[in-house]
Amino acid sequence: MNKKLSAIVLAATTVISGVLAGCSGTQSESSAPTPSTTQPSASTPAGKTTVQFWHSLGGKNGEYISAMIKRFNDTHDNIEVVGTFQGSYDETVTKLQQSIAAKTAPDITMLERAYVQMFAEAEVLEDLTPFMAKTNTSKDDFPEGLMGHSVFNDKIVSLPLNRSTPIMHINKTMLDEKGLAIPTTWEELKKVSEALVVKENGEVKRYGLSMPYDTWYPIAMISQAGGKFFNDDATSIGFEKGEGVKAFQYLKDLQSTGALYYPPAQDSGNIVNQMFTSEKIGIMFQSTGVMGSVKSNAKFDYVTAFLPKDVAFATPTGGANIAMLTDSTNKDAAWEFINWVNTDPQGGQQFILDSGYLPFTKKMVESEPIKELWAKDPNRKVAYDQLQYAVDTNKDVAWPQIMQEFFKAIQAIMYDNKPIEPALDTFKKEAERLLSE
Amino acid sequence: MQLQKEGKKQSGGGPELSIDSVTRTGSKPKIASVRKTWSMFWKAVVLMGFIFPFLWMISTSLQTFEETMKFPPTWIPASLQWSNFVEAMSSGPFLTYFKNSVIVTTSIILIQLAVMIPAAYAFAQYKFFGNKILFGMVLLAFMIPGQVTFIPVYLMLADAGMIKSLWPQILPFMSNAFGIFLLRQYFMQIPQEIVESARLDNASEFKIIWKIMIPMSMPAISTVALFSFVSHWNDYFWPLVMTDSEAVRPLTMGIAMLRETEGISNWHIIMAGNVVLVVPILIVYLFASRQIVKAFVYSGIK
Repeated sequence: MNKKLSAIVLAATTVISGVLAGCSGTQSESSAPTPSTTQPSASTPAGKTTVQFWHSLGGKNGEYISAMIKRFNDTHDNIEVVGTFQGSYDETVTKLQQSIAAKTAPDITMLERAYVQMFAEAEVLEDLTPFMAKTNTSKDDFPEGLMGHSVFNDKIVSLPLNRSTPIMHINKTMLDEKGLAIPTTWEELKKVSEALVVKENGEVKRYGLSMPYDTWYPIAMISQAGGKFFNDDATSIGFEKGEGVKAFQYLKDLQSTGALYYPPAQDSGNIVNQMFTSEKIGIMFQSTGVMGSVKSNAKFDYVTAFLPKDVAFATPTGGANIAMLTDSTNKDAAWEFINWVNTDPQGGQQFILDSGYLPFTKKMVESEPIKELWAKDPNRKVAYDQLQYAVDTNKDVAWPQIMQEFFKAIQAIMYDNKPIEPALDTFKKEAERLLSE
Repeated sequence: MQLQKEGKKQSGGGPELSIDSVTRTGSKPKIASVRKTWSMFWKAVVLMGFIFPFLWMISTSLQTFEETMKFPPTWIPASLQWSNFVEAMSSGPFLTYFKNSVIVTTSIILIQLAVMIPAAYAFAQYKFFGNKILFGMVLLAFMIPGQVTFIPVYLMLADAGMIKSLWPQILPFMSNAFGIFLLRQYFMQIPQEIVESARLDNASEFKIIWKIMIPMSMPAISTVALFSFVSHWNDYFWPLVMTDSEAVRPLTMGIAMLRETEGISNWHIIMAGNVVLVVPILIVYLFASRQIVKAFVYSGIK
């Protein structure tokens, strides 16, 4: 009997801890080996304010942003900014959501621009207007094209930081061989891409154009065709007059002749980069963020140009902003850091020089180091100049979900050769459903 | 291992030659040898499928950036770039990451063994009220992925002020449903007579577990421990959502940080990091592989 009882108890306890998978979190579990719990930054000297800053930059850019944070800390005795990598943009968003609920959120965070509105609507982002007034800065200090995700309900909820746009990357040597000029319109791009194709035994050995599998490029093309991604009331899509069909039809036409290589979804960015640098494609639509590494790898005359226009030049923007969280208890110190990033030559300006992201204040653009950089590398100036055509029309709280639906439409059209109109109709219905929620 | 190596050697001209000999003679020993050659051939194919990504990883980890960017891909680097490893390891507090990985994984395995063995024993040896329901619940736990539970778990542990410690990576894995299941099946196969004769000698339940069950189930126990080791050592999702600061992060997070968010990633550095991540697993695997095969043969899962 006794044995039976102990067996029940044994089994029951394990089951409970198993089913609740950690919800059991038995804090009385003191007999187990104690893992070392090194406190990261909490051990700050008295009188020093610690500002937690979450970001999503890994690799080289991660090193550049850490270096920037170090430059701030070295010159500020009273503030210690702790920068922590929190995974990709999407992963950072997930982490922010849970940590805001758990009250473990940082003071400031990097936020991919398309997610800003979602957090702004939830009223967890601090209005920066009063802080900006105190330091005599205003939103006019920033290029207008980069402010599309900053103002919601008359509040400035985020400021640009590491921003990029899509741009056209060109193997000019390849174009010169064929006596082709850099295309500026869809029509010209079509001719150039088709002229660049090399076929051997019916197999395409060289393509004209490519772009990563992303919503960015179709959105750019819809704007170039005169459409908007969402209509102005944000009740439905804004490309019902055939702009979407036109953009996709254009891509399908190019794809059918071998002029367009549309890469597989997985790791598409890396694939097109590699094909471009190894001269398997002549032109690619890709982020400004890859210019540095493409330049160092290209063994040909590499130039960039505006994305070609259909009825107008247009480009969406990308990258991330910086935002302050309402729950922060160190807002003044956090603002001091943000303001330093925006205004000090050792702040964001140096980070831009290192990383290749777009300069994000007007003062930076006019600064000597940026001018020198542009003289040396005109491609970077092209990227900035294209900002005059920057237009972000995919702003909505529901964007993250709608993006998934748009990806499905892209897959259906580009991979499964589904008819364009029905695919976009299906997408429209889903988008309207999500927008009305 | 030996078999597979031979298989690879023969896979070259083997199959066609053997088919030839079947049509000619058709005698029984010949058929057996054809079968053997075929099976070795397929083993070699499967082996290549598994080994190929490893070889690619190791090759990439020793290439220069330019070599990783080439298309078609580089197979053998012109000169071995050992500096990639130095660069990968110096890009963050990798010693801390490594230490955290070791502490977390070993703690999980020890706690799991302490919980699993008695539980599996109870399920295997006793018929008590509700044992089927309780065992069903174990299987249920087996089916709930971490993605479902992580937010409540995070909130609870944050509430308890544990987010800056390693506990959030350990506590939720105290019990291992798959392990309880596997060990129960294994314990059930141990002859009842042995357990009963031990009882006649007045052995305590603990003694029966310690002296009979554990020694007789070493293959199964080491299998479960190894699976647990591999899955927690490689886990990225859970540490990502449960840790907010560098000081408590494991190796997988450090390696994720080597990736570029935008732009071209330095694959040679990332792969160097991955080699460092994988080597401990390979070492453990080499020691445990024999035990695992035994375990699967006995438990009938094979």
